[in-house]
Amino acid sequence: MDFLYEGNCWRFGENVGIDGDMMPLEFALTRELDPAVLGPHFMTGLDPDFPSKVARGDIIVAGRRFAQGNPHIQGLIGAAAHGVGLVVESIPRGSFRNAVNAGVPILPSCPGVTEMAETGDRLRVDFRTGLFQNLTRGTEARFEPLPDSLLETIALGGWKPAIARRIARMRAEGALP
Amino acid sequence: MGATATEKILSRATGRPVRAGEIVYPDPDLVTVHDWYVVNFDKALSDLGIKRLLHPEKVVISTDHEPVAVSVHAAERQRKVREIVARHGITRFFDAGKGGLGHIFPMELGIVAPGMFVFAYDIHVTNFGAIGCLGIPLVTEISEVLACGNAWIRVPETVRVELTGRLQPGVSVRDVAQRMIADLGPELVDYSVVEFAGPALAAIDVDRRMTLCNTPIEIGAKSALVEVDEVTRAWFDGRLDRPWEAQNSDADATFKAVLPYDLGLAEPQVAAPPTPDNVMGVTELAGRRIDYAFIGSCASSSIADMRDAARILKGRKVADGVRLFVTPGTHEVARRAAAEGLIETFFAAGAAVTAPGCGPCAGGRIGAIASGEVSINTGTRNDYGRLGPRDAEIYLGSPLTVAASAVAGRITDPREML
Repeated sequence: MDFLYEGNCWRFGENVGIDGDMMPLEFALTRELDPAVLGPHFMTGLDPDFPSKVARGDIIVAGRRFAQGNPHIQGLIGAAAHGVGLVVESIPRGSFRNAVNAGVPILPSCPGVTEMAETGDRLRVDFRTGLFQNLTRGTEARFEPLPDSLLETIALGGWKPAIARRIARMRAEGALP
Repeated sequence: MGATATEKILSRATGRPVRAGEIVYPDPDLVTVHDWYVVNFDKALSDLGIKRLLHPEKVVISTDHEPVAVSVHAAERQRKVREIVARHGITRFFDAGKGGLGHIFPMELGIVAPGMFVFAYDIHVTNFGAIGCLGIPLVTEISEVLACGNAWIRVPETVRVELTGRLQPGVSVRDVAQRMIADLGPELVDYSVVEFAGPALAAIDVDRRMTLCNTPIEIGAKSALVEVDEVTRAWFDGRLDRPWEAQNSDADATFKAVLPYDLGLAEPQVAAPPTPDNVMGVTELAGRRIDYAFIGSCASSSIADMRDAARILKGRKVADGVRLFVTPGTHEVARRAAAEGLIETFFAAGAAVTAPGCGPCAGGRIGAIASGEVSINTGTRNDYGRLGPRDAEIYLGSPLTVAASAVAGRITDPREML
């Protein structure tokens, strides 16, 4: 998987909610996991037209406590459906885990990043190295990237392919019933 | 150097000494899953080619989020759950009418004990911290635990809260639990275990300790634990017939923070929409008209909570135009509430009592509210849409405050009725 993203910036503020803002709660209650179903509802709590405006490779820049709330994975599957990357000032651990599990590249700890870009700016972000470039402004910053083990899960496409590999290994070792 | 209770419990589960910050694969003593998610994990495992669980004997399944199927669709899904449970040989299945809320009855029945480690689907497994059992929610990856026996976690740091002082009259532990998450703040507790200790604990029973352990997860804590003491031992008398070993933090353990917290400072608190830590004194919101009230949820459905509600409702009536639902958390709580006459009090006051479980807090599947309505309840969260429509307003308070508000028809300081 290529961890170099280049696309438009979509900036959001602090405390974007996983339920309601990022995805209608109903999909968490029905345990919907299909990206094709969830994609058209991604971020519609904050911007009803968002799914039709966002493009693959775009980057969501958000303030502190992005995806806060009961850590339902549906909002992050919505992000995966659109092929966007996340650069956030902070993210609660439950949602952080869900981002990895949904296979969404993320820089989870980027203090001040909402000052470094605004919606419509052209961004280039290398999620492997943590290099954040605002091509519109001609500025750049570096943030802590994820450890290799989690990047590997994201590169595989998230939790499902990662666990499939684990099961294949355990089966080969005769460790499963 | 000493270890925290969390490090000790995870060291045993991992089979070697572990420290905060390490990525580990601990083997749980128990795995808990609820209702409909059973269908999802079965599908996830089937997609992965897994036909048998590695340890079906460790699994506890409870029908608590929707014990009463409210649609044919739900009834069909429940039937699927029963079929899956039988196929996997899961014997500890607590269907409607059996256990009640799965974050509470395993303590009542002695299924969980101090020092144990539990992996769970649902986040409020942290309630088990009330008896010194570490519960860690995994949500989706619970399937990995069911298939492979464990999953990765980073050993959490511990934020130790030393409780001092005494509650003011009319103030309950729910008020403190709600106030405390605002005071601690999400930045401090994110991915940490919040551990409760201190001299004031001796006066806080296990029921109230569940409430303390319930709220920190709302602001991103990984789990919560209460130090095991005489209160814990007394509570387990007659409930647990096997030996157990408490795992408390050593005095020289490394904590992320140690904070004193004076119970005497809290007043009745209400959390305004849209987050549980958006709390203020009830007097700031007093007078707000309500349509709907609810007492229950894994945060506030113990016998202590039922007694609090009855204290206010005894001899009073729910206001015209307001509906009040009371949901005892478990069958044991419901039976005790009946034996103590509390259920009679609720019905006499004009409240509706619903089947033990999560009640309306489980996303408003049972007892949703209408668009634009205003609710005060003892649920765990008040996100927009938690009880159905996005434009409904949800306030959270203690059972005392919710009962008083239901009687007055407006958000009300319970101290006026005590």
